[in-house]
Amino acid sequence: MSAADVGAVSLARRRRSVLAVHDLRFVALTVLGLAAFPFVLHALGGYSGLATQILLTGIAAIGFNLLLGYAGMLSYGQAMFYGGGGYVAGIVATRFAGGHPNLWLAVLAAVVTTALLAFCVGLLVTRLYGIYFALLTLAFAQMVFFVVEQARDWTNGDDGMQNVPTVGMPFFGSTIDLNTGLPALDLGPFGNLSDVKLWYVFAALVTLLVLWFTRVLVRSQFGEVLGAIRENEERSTFVGFSPRLYRLAAFVIAGALGGLSGALRALFDATVPIDSVGIDRSGSFVIFTIVGGVQTIFGPLVGTGVIMYLQNVISGKTDAWRLIEGLIFVLVIVFLPSGIVGTLLKRRRTRKQLLDTVKATP
Amino acid sequence: MSALLETHGLSKTFGHFAANAQIDFSVEPGELRAVIGPNGAGKTTFFNVLGGTTPASAGTIRFKGRDVTHAGGYRRVHLGIAKAFQTANLYPEQTVRQNARYAALGHVQGPFALEVFRRSQRLAAVDAAAERALARLELTGVAEQRCGDLSHGDKKRLDIAIALATEPEVLLLDEPVAGMSRDEARKTELLIRKLAAEMTVLIIEHDMDLIMGISDSITVLHQGHVLATGTPLEIRENPRVQEAYLGGHSQAELAHG
Repeated sequence: MSAADVGAVSLARRRRSVLAVHDLRFVALTVLGLAAFPFVLHALGGYSGLATQILLTGIAAIGFNLLLGYAGMLSYGQAMFYGGGGYVAGIVATRFAGGHPNLWLAVLAAVVTTALLAFCVGLLVTRLYGIYFALLTLAFAQMVFFVVEQARDWTNGDDGMQNVPTVGMPFFGSTIDLNTGLPALDLGPFGNLSDVKLWYVFAALVTLLVLWFTRVLVRSQFGEVLGAIRENEERSTFVGFSPRLYRLAAFVIAGALGGLSGALRALFDATVPIDSVGIDRSGSFVIFTIVGGVQTIFGPLVGTGVIMYLQNVISGKTDAWRLIEGLIFVLVIVFLPSGIVGTLLKRRRTRKQLLDTVKATP
Repeated sequence: MSALLETHGLSKTFGHFAANAQIDFSVEPGELRAVIGPNGAGKTTFFNVLGGTTPASAGTIRFKGRDVTHAGGYRRVHLGIAKAFQTANLYPEQTVRQNARYAALGHVQGPFALEVFRRSQRLAAVDAAAERALARLELTGVAEQRCGDLSHGDKKRLDIAIALATEPEVLLLDEPVAGMSRDEARKTELLIRKLAAEMTVLIIEHDMDLIMGISDSITVLHQGHVLATGTPLEIRENPRVQEAYLGGHSQAELAHG
């Protein structure tokens, strides 16, 4: 082995050894945050069920961020997967359950369908870049909207699917009812946290898995190449990567996460509104992600939480929610261009560098 | 000996403008071939078509006897054709080492791999190939620098290191010493000589002293056509080449009807 080879091997070893600590810290922080979330939301006056809805919606935003943040593709069509997943889950639970709607079956059907849809749409849209890519995803989303609206027998058209049956969750021989309430908790001055269902625990577990998957993915070999292609596609082609296949794969993963998100929301809410597949929905994932922080693991989830919470509080008081949402978006873009999480991370990095310099100076 | 890389009737047109017209070209394994010509002769276009940046309008390209005319850029990299660009084409936000690692990863991994659960760091071959390429270009000392902060000469040399990290059989160098200081250019010339001992090198360059000194043979392009091919001595004494370089177009145009 040459000196260069030895250097490379020891480098690889060093990189691997610091992994475990980071992973543990990541899981611990995430679990803590997810456990505290319903309490914080309750203290801030969010209605019961909002915490679950935020986590489940945030999963689609996390998928969207894989595209925008990590692959550099701005899609205006995430709602075709989010809404599409909701409808597939709703239809499976309503029609193909034989009286025993099964959560796994409905979710699996939704994820597989949306992944396939993303693959077919992706074959076409990944040929294009920038504004053309954005417009083409929008066009496909509008087509899906039209199909859903017209297929009234299955989807109930403009009124959306009401009364999706409650699903059971078969689990090692028994069936868990996610609508079971958790024991009430007295929070002293913050009131009494009663209405939390088992659904929240399930949503938190799925969210933890999705966050962990995202973190592993962006640090993986796949994520590394995705980053290379985002930064310089021409060079990436001329070191031997196929940018198109990477863009397609990212599109399918984002679509599948959208489907997962929409399906779980549909089963939790027991309704699938027509809006879930509409253009506003696609736009909201852009807003959630940018407000929270593009190219960060937690950003899209935090953005979803902040915007959905504010919408919940503000739209009860005034009709001007849309105006306020727009203003928030503008303010974030102007004053926090890296989003909430992105700005926090940047500050921490600067402070760390400052500390390192201070330490290094004798 | 059969040709390693050859073209027949290769043309590239942009609208009505023929940047390359009916180019017949062939390179033997191990050769160091220069492609020269006045500005606008179609040299860079020719390299772009050879490397797969732009598709040919007509004609064929064969590499090791295999038709690669319609193979995309990344496929040609895996067949063994690598390219250093006229303007260094890098990942400016990454370290010098990461730039070389991307290239080594492309070579080791192939065009696509759905490795979403494993990190590239497990591939010792990637790190080794990247470090080797950096060492060859004497960039190991600046390996942890952000490559956007490098000097112009180091950027150009990193671009060559990236091409080398894909372990090519044919290396296309588009003006490797353009804009370099005299020292940097001298260092790069020595490097090109060393590389030419291991692989086939095609080089576009305006520095005539360099070209005449290192090339085994030279192809002269003029207005998209091949004007002449021969040894440096033959090219230096070719009246048509002299004519083209002195700016008189009439004789060259006459030659091509």
